[in-house]
Amino acid sequence: MVLGGGIAGIQASLDLAEMGIQVHLVETLPCIGGKMAQLDKTFPTNDCAI
Amino acid sequence: MLDAGRHAKINLLAYSQVEEVSGEVGAFQLKVRKKARYVNEDLCTGCGACVEKCPSTVKDEFDVGLGERKAIYKYFPQGIPSTHCIDAENCRQLGQGKKCGICAKVCQADAIDYEQQDQLVDLEVGAIVLATGYDVFDPSVIPEYGYGRIDNVVTALEFERLLSASGPTHGHLDRPSELALRVEIAALEKELQKATRQIDKLEEKHGKKTAEFVKEFKAGKAGEDGDFERWAGLAEKAAVAEEKLAPLKKRDAAAHTAKKLAFIQCVGSRDFRFNRFCSSYCCMHSVKEAMIAHEHDNETTSSIFCMDLRAVGRGFEEYKLRGGESANIEYVRGRVAEITEDESLNPIAWYESTTTRQVEHETFDMVVLATACVPSAGTPKLAELMGLKLDENGFFKTDPLAPLDTNRAGIFVCGCAQGPMDIPESVVQASSAAARAAEVVSMAGEVAVGGS
Repeated sequence: MVLGGGIAGIQASLDLAEMGIQVHLVETLPCIGGKMAQLDKTFPTNDCAI
Repeated sequence: MLDAGRHAKINLLAYSQVEEVSGEVGAFQLKVRKKARYVNEDLCTGCGACVEKCPSTVKDEFDVGLGERKAIYKYFPQGIPSTHCIDAENCRQLGQGKKCGICAKVCQADAIDYEQQDQLVDLEVGAIVLATGYDVFDPSVIPEYGYGRIDNVVTALEFERLLSASGPTHGHLDRPSELALRVEIAALEKELQKATRQIDKLEEKHGKKTAEFVKEFKAGKAGEDGDFERWAGLAEKAAVAEEKLAPLKKRDAAAHTAKKLAFIQCVGSRDFRFNRFCSSYCCMHSVKEAMIAHEHDNETTSSIFCMDLRAVGRGFEEYKLRGGESANIEYVRGRVAEITEDESLNPIAWYESTTTRQVEHETFDMVVLATACVPSAGTPKLAELMGLKLDENGFFKTDPLAPLDTNRAGIFVCGCAQGPMDIPESVVQASSAAARAAEVVSMAGEVAVGGS
């Protein structure tokens, strides 16, 4: 089980799922994305965060 | 995000909370409460017709209180799962016991379910990865920075929402004082409109203009009628609203977007009163925000006040220099002691420049506080639930030589739940934690290899 659906939780879930392991991703908020989804761009490349 | 929502091997339990944990490595038993959304996830198409018609408006948490949302809402437009949710507390029908039901009426998919209950889901898992993230430090506990008192002092995350094209200002750097001003103007205009509508009806009924009537009424020549008291009251109300509106509108017309910015580093971190640790990402975060603001408007200038600017990471130092050379960023070595406000609501930063050794002050359009990364509010409770230790700063405790392992076998931690870190580092840790968890699960013989 992965607890928290921010960037770390999403990455961990995807990696585990790609290994063929069943993952339960639990997030308290209505949607996954976490703080990163609130960001406009990310450093150092100024790429869009979403 | 989308991949995680779609993956056949990922069971997404959003809007859910872990309530009980038992068992041990290889076989943990968990009870997860899936909170009622009052919207059937399988039926909701995410069209948003309900949001348009919902009469209750509240502050939007995603926009850190700078924007508004309805009681039925989607957390953010690109959110996964792409479904809506009713905030029961602010809903007329659910929380306030009023008759409403508008969302149920407009929903063509019949997805609204006011009877929905919380669900308890039992899970059996081999390993647990904690990626519970962090909270932003609340700078209102530092009175000298005036956060909460001075409108144009904002946190870095608030500034990020102001910069965002999907944010409350659609990416225009409008100052919070002007946003508040516009809300005030809108409220007064609504009041005026309501009064004018009623006045128009009275004018039509009695066949005379309000100005004429008021003159007569004041002179006591209007005569007797049940409407007259109300009419005079409305006329008075409209006049007061108009009088209040004029200067506000003038101020709004003279308003401009924020072009002169100050960034204050280490707000709540590297400060012995609050947190001793360095939040690590805020230096680069401020440089980034200053660069994006400059991209939005080439006239924007920024001053970053810092003890030292920590650009540790691949490409970070170059990024910092690029900001200084091409994005009008000035790096000022000095810690801001106090922020005051002038009569035009511009914040003034008072600081000692350690290069000139002088106490100086400068006026800005907006001040951005680079707030610290602190453990998320639920961390102590979760630690207790799972029997985990916390470190001296309140993050999950790990060993420097085994940075992903908690004190319980089979429970791993990654990202800001373990301590402040930036996005690339969080991603690296997440992949490592996934590998560690996979190791445990495969040893427990529960892995179905080749499933994806």
